[in-house]
Amino acid sequence: MRSQAMFFQRRAGAALADPQLQKKFAGLKGKFVDSRARAVAAYESDFDELRDAGRDIRDRVVANLDVWLELFEEKATQRGASVLWAKDGREICAHVLAIAQRHGVNKAIKSKSMLSEEAQLNAALSAAGVQPVETDLGEYILQIAGNEPPSHIIAPAAHKDLAEVADLFAATHHTPRKTEIPALTREAREVLREHFLSAGMGISGGNFLIAETGSVALVTNEGNGRMVTTLPKVHVVVTGIEKIVPTLEDFATLMRLLPRSATGQEISNYVSLCTGTKGPADADGPEHTYFVLVDNGRAGLLGSDFQEMLRCIRCGACMNHCPVYQSVGGHAYGWVYPGPMGAVLTSLYTGLENALDLPQASTLCNQCGVVCPVRIPLAELQRKLREQQSERGLRPWSERAALAAWAWVARRPALYALAAKLGVRYLNWLAGGEDRIRVLGLAPGWSTGRDFPAPQGRTFRELYQSRQESKA
Amino acid sequence: MRVALFVTCLVDLMRPSVGFAALRLLEAAGCEVAVPETQTCCGQPAFSAGERGAAAALARKTIAEFEGFDYVVAPSGSCADHIRHRYPELLADDPAWCARAETLAARTWELTQFLADVLAVDTVAGKYDGSVTYHDSCSGLRGLGIKAQPRRLLGRVAGLTLKEMPEAEACCGFGGAFSVKFGDISAAIAAKKCANVQAVQAGAVVGGDLGCLMNIEGTLRRQGDEATRVLHVAEVLAGSNGKVA
Repeated sequence: MRSQAMFFQRRAGAALADPQLQKKFAGLKGKFVDSRARAVAAYESDFDELRDAGRDIRDRVVANLDVWLELFEEKATQRGASVLWAKDGREICAHVLAIAQRHGVNKAIKSKSMLSEEAQLNAALSAAGVQPVETDLGEYILQIAGNEPPSHIIAPAAHKDLAEVADLFAATHHTPRKTEIPALTREAREVLREHFLSAGMGISGGNFLIAETGSVALVTNEGNGRMVTTLPKVHVVVTGIEKIVPTLEDFATLMRLLPRSATGQEISNYVSLCTGTKGPADADGPEHTYFVLVDNGRAGLLGSDFQEMLRCIRCGACMNHCPVYQSVGGHAYGWVYPGPMGAVLTSLYTGLENALDLPQASTLCNQCGVVCPVRIPLAELQRKLREQQSERGLRPWSERAALAAWAWVARRPALYALAAKLGVRYLNWLAGGEDRIRVLGLAPGWSTGRDFPAPQGRTFRELYQSRQESKA
Repeated sequence: MRVALFVTCLVDLMRPSVGFAALRLLEAAGCEVAVPETQTCCGQPAFSAGERGAAAALARKTIAEFEGFDYVVAPSGSCADHIRHRYPELLADDPAWCARAETLAARTWELTQFLADVLAVDTVAGKYDGSVTYHDSCSGLRGLGIKAQPRRLLGRVAGLTLKEMPEAEACCGFGGAFSVKFGDISAAIAAKKCANVQAVQAGAVVGGDLGCLMNIEGTLRRQGDEATRVLHVAEVLAGSNGKVA
């Protein structure tokens, strides 16, 4: 997916101006935020201790990533899988196409994989004559809607309503228009069944890779994941290199955190652990399993100020709880990952210069940091990105000049007092005798939706000084 | 007990009544209060904008001005949080300054936290005839753990009823420069906050940070709500209720 992050302001504005979309965001927030709160409250022991444990597991992996990756490769290979490495999206596509060609595949069914979005894999498959079919219901809706990008990492079609989906299904499937959710789901299931049975290859992401067993763990609510990973003869797993966890026990700990943080469930409907290829005693499973382990910028974060970002387990809690995401939705962020985690990842993986607004588009309220199951200091990472923007001269000169002038004056108390006095006089003149300023000339952004309260009159320091003098 | 009052930029410029209310509250609690004359800005705006050098320079200046006191108190969670948590970190490379920063940090408090936790104040002068709702500001709440203190103190104000609004902990959308750079997003977030304020039909919304309060007040007024008062917690506790006393 090519990054559109440069257009954050424009896309955010469009989302704010769309009342239908706003209604959906409000519904989504109610669902995810309230469900998580209930699940955390109902958790049998201290959820914060669990978060500490989750953080420690992820840190242990990230600190010795090469060791765990080698162990994973060894174990996965022992179970008959092939492990391939990709440094970027181009290499992901090359690997997957080579596998498709080797096995004579002309159709690939897909379970959700954010990395395939990073790599624009569907476009590459189509161009090579391999039909990609998304089987996650949300992803399927987006695919038939003209390959729209997801707007949420776990609820990709959250920005669409029932009527839109009903229209899409009727137009795509050439069936009578249905508006009941169970009927629509059944229709999708019928259409997808044929694809499940006729595809030569299944492509999935992976929520976790387990080093001690060489397995991939898939956490889903729809059951399509296990069809994708067991029905076709070839299974290709495309995941980031940071998705490793050392042991099954670590995986169990993270599974207490992931569904609760994501959807407020104690556990998701389906949890699949896929280990290697079909054995002689197995009733089903792929004959060929490939792991494509992807860097695409991840290794560059090791040892950097942003290493903590590699803990991320893609639950979406940060975006669900972010006041900015709640207002503008995922498409405004312009790349694969939205919300606070997306603001950081997009800046780091696609280049700071291509995402100038994203680190700025946060109130730094840190609600994201409070709900993150692995304690990523997301607000702090956004602030650090601002430092990098400043160091690299990526902010507009007017903004930098204003800040520099403020800081310069603030170090000179007499000048500061004078500037404050004149500033207050100016604001009072703008208020024109009212208790508010309706158009704030120097900061027009403020007054688009709000008045600016007028100052009370004189500065505190002026009033305090005259009070002290009258006392003396 | 010698206490220095840190008068924040916004209080100095926009709402001196908050500074005087804080002064009265501290004096009434038996503190000998000084207001260092050369104080300006704590440097948080520069720090949040990623201008580390400017933020460090202002940190040194503030440390020098405030280090002789037993306590430093600010009527703002965000400035107090900045001094407490960021000064030592900003000056970490300079051992001598870092030690001074840590000493200051350990003595710096947000006003309601200082009154409730350090001085254990249980009577306040304020009188307020009606109901108020309390907005938790992000830095105070998540940076300093301020939640119970202002509510406990407001509970001591004669005539006042505290009504909790839905999502009291949700950000109001101010975020310093965010409110100017992304005016429309900020206004949308503020509108949700104001809807929650209005939902409980309190006569006033009270908070501990002037930035949030200006954002909320400007939004209420633009929406045509002239009735809901917007007050700093210091003003209510001291009984000045918005007047420059």
